[in-house]
Amino acid sequence: MSARHGISALLILAGLIWAGTVGAMYRAVRRFETTPGRAAAAHDQWPDASRISRPAGAWTLVTLIHPHCSCSRATIEELQAIMEKAPPSLHSFVLVYRPSDFPAGWEKTDVVEAAYHLPRSHVVIDVDAREARLFGGFTSGQTFLYDGNGHLRFSGGVTALRGHAGFNRAVASVVRIAKSGSGRASHPVFGCAIISQQEGASR
Amino acid sequence: MSIAISNDVSPATAARAAELNKDRLYARRARVDRMFAVLLVVQYVAGIIGALTVSPYAWEGKVHAIHMHVWIAVIGGAGIIILPILLALFRPGTTLTRHVIAASQMLSSALLIHLTGGRIETHFHVFGSLAFLAFYLDWQVLITATVVVAADHFLRGIFWPESVYGVANPEWWRFLEHAGWVVFEDVFLIWSCVMGRREIESSALREAQIEELSEQEQLKTAALQMALAEMQATA
Repeated sequence: MSARHGISALLILAGLIWAGTVGAMYRAVRRFETTPGRAAAAHDQWPDASRISRPAGAWTLVTLIHPHCSCSRATIEELQAIMEKAPPSLHSFVLVYRPSDFPAGWEKTDVVEAAYHLPRSHVVIDVDAREARLFGGFTSGQTFLYDGNGHLRFSGGVTALRGHAGFNRAVASVVRIAKSGSGRASHPVFGCAIISQQEGASR
Repeated sequence: MSIAISNDVSPATAARAAELNKDRLYARRARVDRMFAVLLVVQYVAGIIGALTVSPYAWEGKVHAIHMHVWIAVIGGAGIIILPILLALFRPGTTLTRHVIAASQMLSSALLIHLTGGRIETHFHVFGSLAFLAFYLDWQVLITATVVVAADHFLRGIFWPESVYGVANPEWWRFLEHAGWVVFEDVFLIWSCVMGRREIESSALREAQIEELSEQEQLKTAALQMALAEMQATA
């Protein structure tokens, strides 16, 4: 085979790889971004066993965060948008997961640092996801909205897709419910698992 | 001494001008092909570094594994750049090469946008890339790039609207709004391509005419020298 034919064959092979990669990449990215995490088994009422003291009579947002999940950045951005748009009476708790056998400080990431700067919000280190289990959440980004009486009004993620910041239906729902004081909504949650399938199944 | 260039162009001069024009365009486009080959590699490495920095691992509780973004940056990025780089090396200056490079550059933009979680700032890469593609002085390359961007937005808008517009139910024409901003830039880049081509054509014609005049002058000089030599011989 001449060098010219060899180069032509190489270019045809590269063309096939190019076309195949583009198709496969689109498919893989789509599957990754649109596949939601495990939905919460949320309770209708604020869990009594929780150590978080809900501000009496105030609407409260609770969000579970895995500090090393890159998708959490988008969740924090959307929480910022919610806290800016929602009535000032809305308070927020960000529960940051840390396994007890991991060194203290493992949870200190840029995501958690950003959570500390959210308005009217408190960051709580959730050792071994104790609080996450009480609230019934499994996935980073899972957000619960409770009304002044502790009734659940929203359960789900606040990003449109995995790791994608930007205004979306979930944010609109939370803000609308918090403003109007009525309605209920849910949304898929996109993020890393805080509680694995095996752990969740053994609950 | 100034050289007066006539507006009348002989067929030979026109052919020489066309040849010079073709050579210059080829040399320019081959250079731009090489520039893009380097740029594609730089973007590829930047994509991997970005993925390793922003999202190195996917987590499940305490357990972590290499994040899918890293694999996409490594394998997907390599798949995107392999063909344009080989074409730039083995088929520089050809029409096919620059159109494949245009499509691949836009796909690189789409990949970088994805790796940065759809950050609006990363969309500027599309506009920068269009400006670089205008170096080819081939407006059709800009059309290829624009079609790839529009197709990406159109298809994702149909099957996966949240990823590109941030909302689940955008209007059907929303991809036209996004592509419209690209077309806005295209209009001026296409104009600059046409002007650039005209300047090169004009420059090639001038050079061909100068070559023709130079040849005529040389012929005249040679004839004079011959005449002088004959006079000296008969004197």
